[in-house]
Amino acid sequence: MIKKVFIFMSMVLICCSALLCGCADIKDTAGIVETDAETENVENVKTSDKEDENMKKGDPSKKAVLVVSFGTSYNESREKTIGSVEKKIAVALPDYEQRRAFTSQIIIDKIAKRDNEKIDNVTEAMQKLVNEGFGTLIVQPTHVMNGEEYDEMKELTEPFEKNFVSIKYGKPLLTSSDDYADAINAIAKDIPNLTDKSCAVVFMGHGTAHFANASYSALDYRFKAMGFENAFVGTVEGYPDIDKIKKDLAEFKPKKVILVPLMIVAGDHANNDMAGDDEDSWKTQLKKEGYEVECILKGLGEYEGIQNMFVKHCNDALNEAAEE
Amino acid sequence: MTTIKKFKVSFTAVFIIIYITAVFCGCSEDSAHNGSLSKSAVNFIDDDGIEINLDKPAERIISLYSAHTENLYYLGVGNKVIGRYKTCTYPPEAAFVEKFDYNGDPENIIAANPDLVIIRPFIRKKAPEYVKTIENAGIKVVSLYPDKFDKFDDYINKLAYLTGTEERAKKLLSKFHSEIENIKAVTSKISEKETIFFEATETNIRTVTADSMAGLAIEYAGGINIAKEAVPMEKGSSIGEFGEEKVLMNADKIDVYVSQRGSMNSGASKQGISERAGFDTIKAIKNGRFFTINEKLISSPTFRYTKGVKEIARFLYPKEMNDISEYENDNLATRRSFANILFKYKNIPVFVPKSSSYYETEHKGHTFGLFEDIKWYDEDFDSIESIVERGYIESIKENGKEYFYPDNNITRDELAQALFVMGEFSSKNTDLYIEDAYKSKYPNIIYILVENNILELKNFKFEPDSYVSNNDIIKALKSF
Repeated sequence: MIKKVFIFMSMVLICCSALLCGCADIKDTAGIVETDAETENVENVKTSDKEDENMKKGDPSKKAVLVVSFGTSYNESREKTIGSVEKKIAVALPDYEQRRAFTSQIIIDKIAKRDNEKIDNVTEAMQKLVNEGFGTLIVQPTHVMNGEEYDEMKELTEPFEKNFVSIKYGKPLLTSSDDYADAINAIAKDIPNLTDKSCAVVFMGHGTAHFANASYSALDYRFKAMGFENAFVGTVEGYPDIDKIKKDLAEFKPKKVILVPLMIVAGDHANNDMAGDDEDSWKTQLKKEGYEVECILKGLGEYEGIQNMFVKHCNDALNEAAEE
Repeated sequence: MTTIKKFKVSFTAVFIIIYITAVFCGCSEDSAHNGSLSKSAVNFIDDDGIEINLDKPAERIISLYSAHTENLYYLGVGNKVIGRYKTCTYPPEAAFVEKFDYNGDPENIIAANPDLVIIRPFIRKKAPEYVKTIENAGIKVVSLYPDKFDKFDDYINKLAYLTGTEERAKKLLSKFHSEIENIKAVTSKISEKETIFFEATETNIRTVTADSMAGLAIEYAGGINIAKEAVPMEKGSSIGEFGEEKVLMNADKIDVYVSQRGSMNSGASKQGISERAGFDTIKAIKNGRFFTINEKLISSPTFRYTKGVKEIARFLYPKEMNDISEYENDNLATRRSFANILFKYKNIPVFVPKSSSYYETEHKGHTFGLFEDIKWYDEDFDSIESIVERGYIESIKENGKEYFYPDNNITRDELAQALFVMGEFSSKNTDLYIEDAYKSKYPNIIYILVENNILELKNFKFEPDSYVSNNDIIKALKSF
């Protein structure tokens, strides 16, 4: 009660002072005292802000492409995967200035601390583009699927959309039905074991609680539909899990199992959860079942066909922008 | 403000008023800060300069530092530890004690009603109000931290005074020092000493100073520390500057490269280090002598430090430090002897959980330290845990509990599985036929091992259920 009286008295005093002086900054006072009486002022301020923001739209002839990746602290892997995708996109979009952003703040911080190299997060990269007056933007994620990482990226870019005359999003790797077929063809080109039916090729994806987790089963299904009955797709943190893979392998009875990361970068998951020496790694679990196991420590980002798919998705976004 | 918070604030206020009144009325029994001359069982100055008097050993202890917790368990008073900080996860049973956080609400500690809270100077510096509130509630707070290795005994003795375990401390300290001396005795006889680089942080490739616990461990383990002259980052720091340039300048001299893992450093991985520009020229990396060590073993003032010293010595001198002569006999192997032979012969690093949140996630296979029949104080705890964590031997689960059954014998099938997991074997596609292969749990494994001449057949039979001797295991290991 006392607090309310105090707020009311303060408000009256502030308003009186403002009126008497005729030079009060309404925006500031409105920000301090939140009452119904001042809603109108706040609304007015918001309207004028919007006008300001509209004025801030960048120059449409200043074009940029922002490549957004989860990130990795392994420098060499980063250049082989994310770096290669970025290079190809740069060649395909010569009129677009290229920028890099990572979504993992832990990785950004680690690289900054260890290598003294600053990599922007999505918000920082977007803010810089706005500050530098870019008016045309393509955001190309290097995510495998339209999952949590992709949603989070969109949440971070959306507040800046108003500052661009044109902003388009390239799709993650596995989006359309054709993408699945293209990805399988790209992988099959580099993994000859897929045509050797005495081997099983097991792909290890990350897995997610997001509904996009169904993409893994869809990919497994598509592999088989395309004649690769010896391909199996599993995940570390989702479903299908390693137990399901073991069941499938017991039925398939391969002589040898090839483990392949279904991740853009062959980082910690690939090195530890897939190919590590601990009892819970996929390699150890499958060896214990009596399979000869070979690990291919190559991230999806290293396959030329996969890099080309990201370029294609980027071009699709470019064409979409051109059609408007 | 929520009702609970209001209640807590009111409760604290009332408590403080009562406490102050009590002090002014001269009826306080507390004597931690006013230098009471009353005769007490314990009397020393802690590492925050506060005189400590206790009338009797503590019975309800909250430890806010992992080394204190660990040492209290070693002193045999783990059952008196009623609270711990989140990083206190060793011994494994400590991980299941209630957690308290000096970044949180001190009322939680007050409500738990301890008679002793053990902190370290860092905590008083970081959270002075937290500590003050506990002290104001009349709870004894003792701050301890041995910043140098030569203060370790004194530190342990103080913990012993607080808990009435002086006799046990004396025995433990004697064992502690003799274990270090034993390692020194082995390594001092080695004429060709190995050179080591110890990476303390990946950032700027820092090392440890020569007088730090890890620095001394290198010395005790008989290693030549390439970065012995490293200058401390600041006065009293155990971390010293070294840098990538100096490491690469000494690339051909570094026989062993060790990276410390822990809260200060995530630790370089085998892959990570090989990806650093120029690091593939380092002799240790070329020869596969890169190791990681958990900081809890090597840089923490605990009795486990001897394990850290031994581990460094094993990295440097695997042959001398992994003597298996006691197992060179035809006795039937037990699961315990099997674990010891594999651990030593393959120079397997001691397994330590990487994260203090290890017990917060479910582990599909074995959970470290949770065997009902192999506790953390078992002399073969490290070898058994490390072998099981590598998947070389199974944990046996019964009614939701885990057992190792150390005295059970080892079958040829079990030996075959372990050998197959630890090696890289390929099928030779011969027309070999094993009559009793169907009796094996994994026939494919015995076919491959026999094809590769790792294990032999007797009259076309493998006899997967028969038991192996210690010599059988050693012979098989020597064959690849």
